Amino acid sequence: MSAIATKTAPAAERYRTLFDSRFRGQDGLTSLRRAALEHFLATGFPTQRDENWKYTNLRRLESRNFVPAEAGPVAPDESQWIANTGARIVLVNGHCMPSLSSAAPQPPGVTVVTLSRWIANQPDEVAAFLAKAAAGLPATALESLNTAFLEDGVAIEIADGVALDQPIYVIHQWTGGTASLPMSHPRIVVRAGRNSRVAIIEHYLGAHDVETFTNAVVTLDLGSGAHVHHYRLQQESLRGFHVGNARVKLDRDSRYTSHDIALGASISRVNITAQLQGQGADASLRGLFIPDGTQHLDTQTRVEHIAARTTSNEEYRGVADGKGRGVFNGKVIVQAGAQKIDSRQSSRNLLLSPTAEIDTKPELEIYANDVKCSHGATTGQLDTASLFYLRSRGISEVEARALLIRAFAESILGTIEHAPVRDYLERRLHERFARIVEAAGVSP
Amino acid sequence: MLSIKNLHVSAAGKQILTGVNLEVKAGEVHAIMGPNGSGKSTLAQLLAGREGYEVTAGTATYRGKDLLALAPEERAREGVFLAFQYPVEIPGVNNVYLLKAGLNAIRKHRGQSELDAFEFLALVREKMKLMQMSETFLNRGVNEGFSGGEKKRNEILQMAVLEPALALLDETDSGLDIDALRVVAEGVNSLRSSERAIVMVTHYQRLLDYIEPDHVHVLSGGKILKSGDKSLALELEKRGYDWVKQEAAAA
Repeated sequence: MSAIATKTAPAAERYRTLFDSRFRGQDGLTSLRRAALEHFLATGFPTQRDENWKYTNLRRLESRNFVPAEAGPVAPDESQWIANTGARIVLVNGHCMPSLSSAAPQPPGVTVVTLSRWIANQPDEVAAFLAKAAAGLPATALESLNTAFLEDGVAIEIADGVALDQPIYVIHQWTGGTASLPMSHPRIVVRAGRNSRVAIIEHYLGAHDVETFTNAVVTLDLGSGAHVHHYRLQQESLRGFHVGNARVKLDRDSRYTSHDIALGASISRVNITAQLQGQGADASLRGLFIPDGTQHLDTQTRVEHIAARTTSNEEYRGVADGKGRGVFNGKVIVQAGAQKIDSRQSSRNLLLSPTAEIDTKPELEIYANDVKCSHGATTGQLDTASLFYLRSRGISEVEARALLIRAFAESILGTIEHAPVRDYLERRLHERFARIVEAAGVSP
Repeated sequence: MLSIKNLHVSAAGKQILTGVNLEVKAGEVHAIMGPNGSGKSTLAQLLAGREGYEVTAGTATYRGKDLLALAPEERAREGVFLAFQYPVEIPGVNNVYLLKAGLNAIRKHRGQSELDAFEFLALVREKMKLMQMSETFLNRGVNEGFSGGEKKRNEILQMAVLEPALALLDETDSGLDIDALRVVAEGVNSLRSSERAIVMVTHYQRLLDYIEPDHVHVLSGGKILKSGDKSLALELEKRGYDWVKQEAAAA
């Protein structure tokens, strides 16, 4: 124990000092923050001794003197944003920018509140709201760090029976020109009322060559019969650290679909926890991670079948090149008494270089007896028979490789229902895979 | 068009072809027959550029070029086409995309302009009619979920679109019922021309009832033991392969 304490002490002191200089109020939110800070300090950054962090080492993140980011003077690069989406909320360096946001006309029953404004006006109410949203979920150290330092984000409430045609698009954009080593702890809280329909896009965009730390928390609460699509696009700077936490609660007959796409960051870790609390609830988790260079992209999913007759389906794909490393750990828990469960999980991975690595670990914990759970994991290289077939039709080796990699990724992208998001990602990946195969030095 | 001399090929340390000689001229249809494991498919795949074979001696010259030195896609662009015995399923790569990309790569290599989407679709529709294929095949993944017969039709469709100079058909008749065989054979026959050569690798004489060869060769033990006209195929059908082997051994 003393070894852990010694190791985390300097970082802990730094974060305490930062906190004390920043948050001095006597309100409910400050108390909530302080409790979260104490939890974070007591627990510390996760280490690889923790089974859930076996493959991901945060020492480099821990050693950096990150400080809360300021809004910054540099205008963001809007060319990276997805066009043709609905309401847009833009956070620049973690701060909501109403001038860049466009609240498309919303039907009645949709409430979108900027957290910074709410915090400034009614910190006690925000504290109560956040406490309620997180109820029943013991926070991890990094989630507590988010609560301690959260300054902005958005609360979205969809009233019962309201269906939105267009997604709500939340952009988290870093720009250069801020203090060195900026960090941001944004929060998105979504409450989808009974039988409502909504799609949420979380989009993280880095500034080129800037070292940043994003530690986001998203909570999604699905009322009975609600359908929520959740897109998570991570394109942080290749020097950035990204931690994303999504907590999803599903009431009876609700349906949650996620697409979790990790392309950027030096080290990224995404945790998605879906709790199926009401009968008939269904969660579909899909994801794609593409580490290249020396990127390390880790995804952990945890699907908890709490109620009977709940279903889940997970499909994750990894494509690793260079010295890139991908990690996928999919945990499925079927609680005692949760009968008639159908749960499927598939993890398929493609290694494009001899120095790339992907670690995949399906985990099942089943405490009921009338359940159907399946999982499968494969890791391999591009199929030589397919490559030869394409080349024998006149396709160059470079293009044949790119086609096969794209086809592999398409099994995830092809399931994205919102066309602007799908098109955006297909274009990005098209370019990226073309670069990957050309960099491999294959003759055209 | 194709001149194979003294070709020796091994794979994984095992000698498969032990001195193949074959001359194919434009306009000719050749059938290479032989028992299982004789090296027929190896020859077809090697000529199309499949990796994993080692040429230990001999040459294969195609239109004056060293065929074995070319990458698979270069061979395709020079007009070599292999209809696979087992066409590969490639989910996520669109059938029509593959055809168009392949055709345009070949046209570009020939110095022809690339076809636009309309010209291309018109061409493909015409060829699909010939192969009695439904247009729904176009927008599926390459061979994805196709039945055995559909895969073979798709191979000949590709051949009809790409219009190769040298078509290698590897066991194209295997797994086909009689109706599908007739359609496939009609497709192949429609491509017979004085500028094109066709080399069929087959185990059975059945295919040759529909696609009449000019020359028939018996490949056995990695060598061509006997050559003749189409009557040789009929004789093989009646007498099997052993007499050819015995005759060769005696010679």
